[in-house]
Amino acid sequence: MKKYKNAVAFILNDKLVEVNFNDSRSHTPTTTVLNYLRNFPFHRGVKEGCAEGDCGACTVVIGQVNEENKIIYQAVDSCLMFLPMLHGKQLITVEHLARIEDNKIILHPVQQSLVDKYGSQCGYCTPGFVMSLFALYKNYNNPSKEIILDALTGNLCRCTGYQPIIEAAELACVNNGTDHFTDSEENITNILLQIKKSTKTLSLKTKKQTYYRPAKFKKAKLLRSLHPEAIITSGATDIALKVTKKHELLKEIIDISGIEDLKYYEERPNTINVGAGLSLEKLKTLSEKALPALHHMLTVFGSKQIRSLATLGGNIGSASPIGDTLPVLIAYNASVVIESIDNKRIVNINDFIKAYRKTDIHTDEIITGVIIPKPKEGTIVRSYKISKRKDLDISTVSACYALKLNNENIVQSIILAYGGVAATTKRALEAENFIIGKLWNQEIVEEASQIIFREFAPLSDARAGEEMRRIAARNLLVKFYSDSLTF
Amino acid sequence: MKDLQHDSAKLHVTGEAIYVNDIESNQQTLIGKILYSKHAHARIKKIDISQALLINKVHAIVTYKDIPGKNNMGPIVYDEPCLAEDEVNFIGQAIVLIAAENEYACIEAEKAIKIEYEQLEAILDIETAIKKNNLLAPPRKIERGNPDGVLSNCEYKIKDTLHIGGQEHWYLETQSCLCIPGENGEMQVYSSTQNPTETQILVADVLGLESKDVIVESKRLGGGFGGKETQGNHVACWAALLAQKTKRPVKIHLSRDDDQKITGKRHRFIINYEAGFNKEGQIEAIIFEQNSDAGAATDLSMAILERAMLHAENSYFIPNIKIIGKAWKTNLPSNTAFRGFGGPQGMAAMETIIDRIARQLKKDPLEIRYKNFYKISTNNITPYDQLIENNRLFILHDKLSESSDYWSRRKAIHEFNTKNKILKKGIALTPVKFGISFTTSFLNQAGALVLIYKDGTVLVNHGGTEMGQGLYTKILQIASAELGINPKNIKIAPTNTSKVPNTSPTAASSGTDLNGMAVKNAIDILKSRISEVVTVEFNKDFKYDLTKIENIEFENDMVFDNFHKDRSMTFKEVVSMAYLKQVSLSSTGFYKTPAVNFDREKGTGKPFHYFSYGMAVSEVLVDSLTGSHKIIRTDILHDCGDSLNTEIDKGQIIGGFIQGVGWCTTEELKYDKDGNLLNHSPDTYKIPSVQDIPDDLRVELLKDFPNENTIRKSKAIGEPPFMLCFSVWLAIKDAISSIGLHQIEPEFSLPATNETILLSIENLKNKY
Ligand SMILES: Cc1cc2nc3c(=O)[nH]c(=O)nc-3n(C[C@H](O)[C@H](O)[C@H](O)COP(=O)(O)OP(=O)(O)OC[C@H]3O[C@@H](n4cnc5c(N)ncnc54)[C@H](O)[C@@H]3O)c2cc1C
Ligand code: FES
Ligand code: FES
Repeated sequence: MKKYKNAVAFILNDKLVEVNFNDSRSHTPTTTVLNYLRNFPFHRGVKEGCAEGDCGACTVVIGQVNEENKIIYQAVDSCLMFLPMLHGKQLITVEHLARIEDNKIILHPVQQSLVDKYGSQCGYCTPGFVMSLFALYKNYNNPSKEIILDALTGNLCRCTGYQPIIEAAELACVNNGTDHFTDSEENITNILLQIKKSTKTLSLKTKKQTYYRPAKFKKAKLLRSLHPEAIITSGATDIALKVTKKHELLKEIIDISGIEDLKYYEERPNTINVGAGLSLEKLKTLSEKALPALHHMLTVFGSKQIRSLATLGGNIGSASPIGDTLPVLIAYNASVVIESIDNKRIVNINDFIKAYRKTDIHTDEIITGVIIPKPKEGTIVRSYKISKRKDLDISTVSACYALKLNNENIVQSIILAYGGVAATTKRALEAENFIIGKLWNQEIVEEASQIIFREFAPLSDARAGEEMRRIAARNLLVKFYSDSLTF
Repeated sequence: MKDLQHDSAKLHVTGEAIYVNDIESNQQTLIGKILYSKHAHARIKKIDISQALLINKVHAIVTYKDIPGKNNMGPIVYDEPCLAEDEVNFIGQAIVLIAAENEYACIEAEKAIKIEYEQLEAILDIETAIKKNNLLAPPRKIERGNPDGVLSNCEYKIKDTLHIGGQEHWYLETQSCLCIPGENGEMQVYSSTQNPTETQILVADVLGLESKDVIVESKRLGGGFGGKETQGNHVACWAALLAQKTKRPVKIHLSRDDDQKITGKRHRFIINYEAGFNKEGQIEAIIFEQNSDAGAATDLSMAILERAMLHAENSYFIPNIKIIGKAWKTNLPSNTAFRGFGGPQGMAAMETIIDRIARQLKKDPLEIRYKNFYKISTNNITPYDQLIENNRLFILHDKLSESSDYWSRRKAIHEFNTKNKILKKGIALTPVKFGISFTTSFLNQAGALVLIYKDGTVLVNHGGTEMGQGLYTKILQIASAELGINPKNIKIAPTNTSKVPNTSPTAASSGTDLNGMAVKNAIDILKSRISEVVTVEFNKDFKYDLTKIENIEFENDMVFDNFHKDRSMTFKEVVSMAYLKQVSLSSTGFYKTPAVNFDREKGTGKPFHYFSYGMAVSEVLVDSLTGSHKIIRTDILHDCGDSLNTEIDKGQIIGGFIQGVGWCTTEELKYDKDGNLLNHSPDTYKIPSVQDIPDDLRVELLKDFPNENTIRKSKAIGEPPFMLCFSVWLAIKDAISSIGLHQIEPEFSLPATNETILLSIENLKNKY
């Protein structure tokens, strides 16, 4: 079998496809999967509604072989995915769901249910919904309403009001995920494993761009030291916007999303260690018991399509003042593990974030993971997110609090971490100092919340005004107090 | 009539449905891009395109100087240049067009074009426009009785101002158009437009052609909602100019950001109101002053203002009333049609008055509503003198207040609010009465062209566009029922100006009413021709007991004599026979709505053919610390007459309602001090997601109340349900109000974002 070095190989529905960028006029390594597909006359089912991950019209399903050699199907936004990210995966598009039998089109159950329930009106959002429903179909049998809503949060529809689509989901997802993909799964798995086996590092070069996709972390570190100017991309849910919205030319890219060594989740006696490359969707599932505040934040983070691509390393790497995992990591007092080819350091998250979108990372370093100390017995950690729309929205204000009381109900330690109220994620230190050593009661909390009201000087922007942010930051502490009583 | 599934449903779910941007055009096709103004108001001193022309793969750069025809795309008033000449009036106004082989070349060219501006003072909100007296057109007025006099003597009074936000259409498919130049200067236009005829006229105008030279086709739109009634014309004009200049096909498909920045939106309004009432809550007089933000040009602003005025009293009889309407010119993109067309803005103020009366008199708002509803045989004349016939308010009220348990839930909510400090519940039942017809009366006409082929299959052309509302499906059902043949044998053709001329926009919820009737008319003509042939044929062998032409029926793919059922032929046989007998098997059809008229000067007339009614009850849960809310339950009862297709009508109700909920809650438009729209992408402009619909949503159609004088006794459904959203808006206010124990009037505006809610609560707590 051939070795893959300069070409991207993936299965498009049921056919092995190789894309070689040297001789391609229509695509570059940063061509999105959406644009790649729409270049074919017969793959225009996939639609662009926003080119920024917010509408889901571009949803496709990616099949990936997991540790047990089974294919896992995930819905993603193809507008945020660079073509090389498909390497070694199956790309499933809306055109491949129906079958033709005896010259008759047999719709896939999710398609038939949408038809039966009048789930499409103008139809522009429909292919995206079909693909989200397909991923749901493959992963759940008789899903609860909560699961259905979560699966559809990343798809906007302006016509139907969603109700018929929810009903279609209920109607369709009853066959334990069996369909014609089940029949071809073994075959597809073998091809995908073959591709994986025959790939080490892809280096894709065109006149204007170089795109590296290492399979091993060691190699990534080496590339990083050789190419200090290169942009690291993991899930690319931030980086892709540079291409789709700002039309920037990314000259050198190191894509670390193919590195399995960075996708770990380990429970140690005192810590939980999370790989920088672990997708937020997986992290959401895995953290439910051990890190409920993180889990909760991830339930209102982007959409399923976004979380399936986005990584923890990327969220930290962006160092955005409204990065949702940051207040949580601060409250858990986490540390970031950073490595270069000859060095490894562990930096507390508070020191890691330097300024607005600036981190303590050098041009030869890569974030490898995060170490989250397990909260001490009796510590209450809770996260909150306020956004204009409850789901798939960026925080107006976010917060995560960690509180430890002693037997006399006196505050032993408290962390009040906020997003959206300053240029970086920030602790309300004045309020923390005020509370420590005091009795945890309504009066103290009210007073502390007033300190918070004064402590921050947030901005007014497209999402909310400065006053709203202050009030929200203040109120969240009061809400936390009320919640802490029922713990 | 049997409900059919959406005629494109299978194409939608398989991804086969073709939208403008999916049309396979040849290798020669160029991409068009618009360079638009970066200033809200400025003089253009210089446009330098010389560097851009040198860029590889760029084929044309067009400025106003290159326009061979008229430099105008204003649909009614010629105040919108296609490309700016020496002045720009809003950020987003087109100045230069670029055609290139790909997007990158377009972007490079855009960067290379240099425009020198001299900035001028800009008016960016209604308040400033009022201060500067920058009226778009003379104010309008509708008045009845003696509002001023009565108001001054009323025992109870409310006087205040309501701020109502605009709304971005957010159709999933952004504006798009493909223009293919043909021989002899002709232009073939594939456009995502709700108004093919107007697109045709304006494209011909800018190109210096005549209507006969331009063909506009619109197969399906990826959503319209009014946003493609006039705004689709712009993209079409731009693409056509580039196609004419390059002699190659040109496609423009706006990026989401460009679409949101440069196209018009729902008008924001500031409404001043003054209401007088007695201690029982009976309203005696109201004065409304409606101020709308028209933006930089006229577009449809005056018609929208008119509809706002005609819906100012919603479902209530107000004996003394004055409605003044003023549209103000600002330096923002010209605002435009959007589902409801001013109706929602007009009604929002009325519903606010009701809500406030209830709070002031410590009564339930529903009681106040009921008391003031239009009555059946008295108090049934609108401020503009139209008699309200077939009033459905009472039946809807009685049924819905009972089926939703309004009164017992009201009690339960009160108890909940007494017990809970942080979470608060609210409930509201609100009515909609919506007038159906274009208020510009001559627009109430439609044409059709029905073709029967020799094999017995039928192609139906009509003037309406399919944008998801199910028009083609309803037309298919109508054609199938009228011809008595299986819908399988009928196809609805893409809407095309070369088949049906001079069509009205598919708007004002009138698509089915007008086009359905026109199609029926064409079919009636064909049926009478065929019946003649059939009658002759049936009577061939009889001397007496002859078949009478009026007894010929078309049903179940058969044509037969209803009195002699044995005399029958299949539709196919009949068609083939008619052909051989040299009978014409195609016909146009026409319809105009009878007896609608409106005198704008006097503010009186019968502008509407009939009214559509609906009511909704919503219950919400508000978190008083975060300002977030959740709709727990909504019950809707809506009047569609005899529904043509229950599921499609329900789809319109739910979809319209949720779109309205977005307008009332999370959809907010903010501008910076220079007039830049801050929410120009879905990142910051938030339409409802699947998580925002009511946990429990119950939708029913009012049964057994047929509508006379419309196609198959149905009623229009496109717009009215939008306004059911006030049930959510006022339920939120009710929840907020409970924090002040309903003693204090909360500050409130539209949309009720979490910010609005939180600030209102803060304010209330400070007062309390
Ligand atoms: C529609 C949409 C919704 C979103 N919703 C949310 C939300 O609710 N909350 C939120 O916080 N964010 C949200 N985001 C932002 C984004 O998804 C997150 O920040 C995400 O975690 C980024 O991860 P990624 O792997 O995709 O990062 P990338 O885009 O791959 O990278 C982001 C940045 O981190 C750097 N980086 C990535 N990995 C590493 C590494 N291992 N070492 C060093 N540097 C690295 C990159 O160089 C880049 O600067 C949203 C984005 C979109 C498009
Ligand atoms: S196009 Fe909107 S999410 Fe990709
Ligand atoms: S059906 Fe039109 S956007 Fe969903």
